[in-house]
Amino acid sequence: MMRAWRPAGLALELVVAVAGSGTIGFAVRATSAPLTTGAKTPVYLHALRRMPEALLYPAANQKVTFNRDIAPIVYHYCASCHRPGEAGPFPLLTYEDVKKHGRQIVAVTQTGFMPPWLPEPQALKFADERRLNSDQIALIKTWVDQGMLQGDAKDLPPPPKFEPGWQLGKPDLVVKAARPFALSATGIDTYWNFILPIPISEARWVKAVEIRPGDKRLVHHANILVDRQELSRKLETSPGAGFGGMEIRIESELFDPDSHFLFWKPGTVPYVEPDGMALRLDPGTDLVLNTHLQPSGKPEEIQPSIGIYFTDKPATEHPMLVQLECDSQLDIPPGEENFVVHDEFTLPLDVELLAIYPHAHYLGKDLLATARLPDGTTQTLIHIQHWDLNWQAVYRYEQAVPLPKGTVISMRYVYDNSEDNVANPNHPPKRVRGGNRSSDEMAHLWLQMLPKSSPDSNRDPRMVLQEALARHHVERDPADFEAHYNLGAMLQARGDVGGAEAQYRAALRLRPDDAVVNNALGTALIGLGQVDEAMRYFTAATRARPDYFDAHYNLGNALAVQENFSAAAEQFRDAVRLKPQDADAEANLGSALAQLGELSEAKTHFVRALQLNPNHALARENLQLVEQMMAAAH
Amino acid sequence: MYRDQQRVSSALRLILGFIALVATFTSIGYLPVSAGEASPRGVDLTGKAIDPLRATPGEPVVLIFIRTDCPISNRYAPTIQRLSSRYTGKAVFWLVYPDKAESSAAIEQHLRDYGYKLPALRDPQHSLVKLGQAQITPEAAVFDASGQLVYHGRIDNWYKEFGRARPAPTTHELDDAIQAALKGEKPQVATTDAVGCYISDLE
Repeated sequence: MMRAWRPAGLALELVVAVAGSGTIGFAVRATSAPLTTGAKTPVYLHALRRMPEALLYPAANQKVTFNRDIAPIVYHYCASCHRPGEAGPFPLLTYEDVKKHGRQIVAVTQTGFMPPWLPEPQALKFADERRLNSDQIALIKTWVDQGMLQGDAKDLPPPPKFEPGWQLGKPDLVVKAARPFALSATGIDTYWNFILPIPISEARWVKAVEIRPGDKRLVHHANILVDRQELSRKLETSPGAGFGGMEIRIESELFDPDSHFLFWKPGTVPYVEPDGMALRLDPGTDLVLNTHLQPSGKPEEIQPSIGIYFTDKPATEHPMLVQLECDSQLDIPPGEENFVVHDEFTLPLDVELLAIYPHAHYLGKDLLATARLPDGTTQTLIHIQHWDLNWQAVYRYEQAVPLPKGTVISMRYVYDNSEDNVANPNHPPKRVRGGNRSSDEMAHLWLQMLPKSSPDSNRDPRMVLQEALARHHVERDPADFEAHYNLGAMLQARGDVGGAEAQYRAALRLRPDDAVVNNALGTALIGLGQVDEAMRYFTAATRARPDYFDAHYNLGNALAVQENFSAAAEQFRDAVRLKPQDADAEANLGSALAQLGELSEAKTHFVRALQLNPNHALARENLQLVEQMMAAAH
Repeated sequence: MYRDQQRVSSALRLILGFIALVATFTSIGYLPVSAGEASPRGVDLTGKAIDPLRATPGEPVVLIFIRTDCPISNRYAPTIQRLSSRYTGKAVFWLVYPDKAESSAAIEQHLRDYGYKLPALRDPQHSLVKLGQAQITPEAAVFDASGQLVYHGRIDNWYKEFGRARPAPTTHELDDAIQAALKGEKPQVATTDAVGCYISDLE
């Protein structure tokens, strides 16, 4: 931390922070970023991990029976959701259950609607793939055509066993939504966000989060966004009310070190992060649960809860969520059946790809992501030929996919804005552009990557990746506000303050009133020694957002540099009011007051700073100084 | 978007439906019931046999086939209730539950859960299913004031297939058929394929 007062002789000297409150500005593009899940394989999957392939093909003279041929398929692929309390609308646990829906099962397996698994088969395997092969689908049809025979009781495999309650055992912490959301009986799908404040008093490491979305028949998917600054609360009409919206954005001014997918979809098995990849949760963090709800025909209430599992092992490896997007290319004429957008990004370093999350809205049709390796080979990362927003999901690779530096990640999405697309929200179709509303369209590809190396050993490889990504977005779309800001933040972090200034100014041309960018530009100008001009931008930031701690703090520092201690003290008072737990703000307020000769009040604030942080060297030195001055005055 | 297999089976069902329709037209006198033949009946929730076509002579009758565990027919509950309310005093709606395993108590609970204010019949023998030529839940059968089956099929085109629903329907075949029946006309569309759960799975 550079922001602080240093005593020099009897005078107090101010050292101004370079970055906004000691943090690196960083706007995470956290629209509906998703998820997680993973790891512990549930008991039933262990038991059924190996499908009895030999039994898939009854001898030519044998008829297909439930007990021998169909039950293993149903137990393995259907029962985890089609059982009481889970997402499936009816149970599929017994012969009678299955017989009662036999022709329906034939129909839905033949169209590929069930089991729900959007990606096409590919060489890179996903974990927990839930896909029937063509032989299995044909076998089900033959069974139904032959009259749904039950077969010999001794052929029936043991029924699947399910863990009741929390799948990972008793959570260390359970947080439930403050209030249920009332879902109406009818209408279109609803997107509702529940804010879950996490009651912890010190930073904790999280190895797993189990999402219990409420009535699973109603929740199509849910994902968690980490809000480290309580920004989402402003979207609630009253505390605990939650708020609507499909795509939510949580801007973070922190370089978020813990980029994990926290996702739930029907049938999800909670994912346990491997040792060393835990998620950090700080006090004051809110988790925002974004849910996609489908009316059932009767009024329903949904009140989700999450179970958190802590670990003592801190994160030693830091995956990143890398987002490619083509939203600015989206301008889809009505009637257009094949509107294509495309983007390519070249990796600046070696990474391992852990998981992938493609995202489009209702017009998305064919979503493809590939990796072209430096050796010229191309791998399909994911291909969804029949996109369906209702079944969007995060896909985790069975094994991490090594992608060397120079690999070109490519996304190619196709959209159908014709009347033939039943999901088309507009009838008749109308022009649709990119945007965050559900009526807008999106072209996003999220990749969870673990950077493996850095060309510059002094730099965090995540920053190398982020800088390359931001530069890519800026070059492709000069109107990309966030990309300019992110690139500026990365340049500033590695000491290229002039480069940062240029990017912040570009961002500010796009959004002149953005508080965060005004503040960031101010810090860059301070770094360049232009205190007067910096103050303009800090002031603009405080006007744009009067409750913006960083801007008040930095403005206070700039004023102090100019020895306008009275105005500086006012800014520090605002800062202390906005963040009463910040020891630095208290210390600087004390210092400004000391400069004004208000020694007694200054002392109070130094003491307070030391209560907040007993190791605050500056507050301690200044406190001694002030006490000496007070003693000398007697 | 849809697999060939599904297209084939859908085409087949259309043809079958057409043949069935021809059969109804040529067998005038099948409805109302000819002498000596048992009247097609459902069973009300107290266990009493009821012929819904004879219960209210002179009014068009709409049978809506549903089951308690079919997610698509459940999602239609508000639509069904709204439509039936619109025709109060003009056409008579009956809910028909063809699953013989569904008890009266389970059906009463289902009516409460989904806010239905319609009379309900069980149809364990599929007598009304045959009468209305229903194959799917949810599916509607419309009989004109003379008891002639004038429409059977989907309520509207909300669902195109399992898991593929429009944000809202763009055609309203059941509503159109009722309006035609009230005018004493034949609906322009006499039969459509419904999307939902197969009644034949219940046999």
